[in-house]
Amino acid sequence: MSELARWLAAAVVLAAVPFFLGEYHNDVYRKMLLWVALALGYNFLFGISGQVAFSHFAFYGIGAYSIVILLFQVGLPLPVAILAGVALCALLALAVAIPSTRLEGFYLALATLAFAQLFVVVLNEGGRVTGGTGGLMDYRLPEIFGVRITGPWYTTVIVAVLLGTYAILARLDRSWFGRACRAIRDNPEAAAAMGVNVARTKVIAFTVTSVLAGLAGMAYAFVDNTVNPPIFGLENAFLLLFMVIVGGSGRPAGAVIGAVLLYLLPFVLSPLIGHHHALVFGLLLVGAMLVQPRGLIGVYDALRRRAA
Amino acid sequence: MRSAGALLEVRGLAKRFGGLAAVSDLDLDVHEGEILGLIGPNGAGKTTTFNLVAGVYPASAGVIRFAGEPLLGLPPHAIAARGVMRTFQHNRPFAGMSVTDNVLVGAHTRFRSGLWSVLAGRARARDEEARQRRRAAELVEFVGLGESAAADVATLSFGQGRLLEIARALAGEPRLMLFDEPAAGLTPAETARLATIIRGIAERGIAVLLIEHDMRFLLPLAHRVAVLNFGLKIADGKPDEIRTHPQVIQAYLGDPGALADAAH
Repeated sequence: MSELARWLAAAVVLAAVPFFLGEYHNDVYRKMLLWVALALGYNFLFGISGQVAFSHFAFYGIGAYSIVILLFQVGLPLPVAILAGVALCALLALAVAIPSTRLEGFYLALATLAFAQLFVVVLNEGGRVTGGTGGLMDYRLPEIFGVRITGPWYTTVIVAVLLGTYAILARLDRSWFGRACRAIRDNPEAAAAMGVNVARTKVIAFTVTSVLAGLAGMAYAFVDNTVNPPIFGLENAFLLLFMVIVGGSGRPAGAVIGAVLLYLLPFVLSPLIGHHHALVFGLLLVGAMLVQPRGLIGVYDALRRRAA
Repeated sequence: MRSAGALLEVRGLAKRFGGLAAVSDLDLDVHEGEILGLIGPNGAGKTTTFNLVAGVYPASAGVIRFAGEPLLGLPPHAIAARGVMRTFQHNRPFAGMSVTDNVLVGAHTRFRSGLWSVLAGRARARDEEARQRRRAAELVEFVGLGESAAADVATLSFGQGRLLEIARALAGEPRLMLFDEPAAGLTPAETARLATIIRGIAERGIAVLLIEHDMRFLLPLAHRVAVLNFGLKIADGKPDEIRTHPQVIQAYLGDPGALADAAH
């Protein structure tokens, strides 16, 4: 099968699923796809580029809030609002990345943690613009050429965001840029000796993945038709990290597995053990680090090698 | 000696670490296709010189010119982009990547297609990737790692890792190759193979600057040898002149066997 045919098949299958789901399961499905998109981006940032950043989920929130504010408070048309939201994410990403990627791991983690925390403060204190602690609600996706995309059709938009994210990251990963990112992660000095501009490469990786998170956030804004501060708190930033580590950091397939598993796990576990599912997350994380640092995808590789 | 100017010209180079003069008033020339060996006892300033050329740290004084352009003050990645590639004494492979992908990192500065072409999947970017992949495969073959081309670097032996370092550096199409004690830790068979490879590199017209401890390896290989002692150059000449140079023998008295053995 040619590459294009495979992409189309994936798009058709993923987009067809919601038409067989009820409203509740459709909602679960959409959010799962968004988590997968986020995990793929975070895998590139953390797993491939080796940047321990906690700002990825905040950029998801920046995308979500900015599209709502730009559409309904500034009054921009949808395509312009999307472009302006992308530009905002890119500018904020550069503002965070340029000073902090020059710093080594621990300081980048601190700077991005502060940024993520500051974002939630801004949301809470943003008055009429951000809607304060209650957030923004009672808005709907504008009509495009007289058509309002709703229900399972809106899930198609999310599928497009997910596949677009995957395609962009896969192309970057398989190019000189992806190899430079991995080289920096493993040995920045040797990467520099090979001609890799370490600071510049890190800033680009940070900015591209942050913009992709912002785009996913824009799609999220019309899933619940409400955005509020608690969604974009640090808890989800850490959940994203867990997804990538448990699935297998550095491997897109691992990010997909980790995101699907950790997103769906509470739905399965909550009826059984209530809110204690966080404990299971913790055990999975510790298990991954102790038994198989390459995560579930590493377990899969080992099993396949044994079978061969 | 060639009539044209040297590819690498070092003039009055000095590096002080606090009160310690690691390198003082050093002059060096390396010509295209020439193998210059840089030797000296421990602490003589060989590695410091090497790191100054590679841009790892700034010099205290002096000038380094490469193809007529000043090199000092440039960051390591910019020096690599100008055609100065290096190997590391302690192998530094990029883990979790195949041998070929490691070599492709060495070709980083040779890629002309920008990020937009890569993202758009332009034919130009795809062709370039395919072309560089073929070149990387040739280099892997040249150093004798052909059978491991697709293997993860973690599966390589120490000696193979050293060969990978060389292929990776060559992928950057260097005009000057810097070798940091390339024979260290190799078996005699591997050392012999290494000498053949380095000769092959110089025959391609690439200038070679080689730091080495092992005289038995260096003296038959180098076209010219510069000897450092306590940060000063005490001799510079053909290997035969170096073997009999009184000051060099003096400097190596702690290890008299090294020179005697190398004479055979």
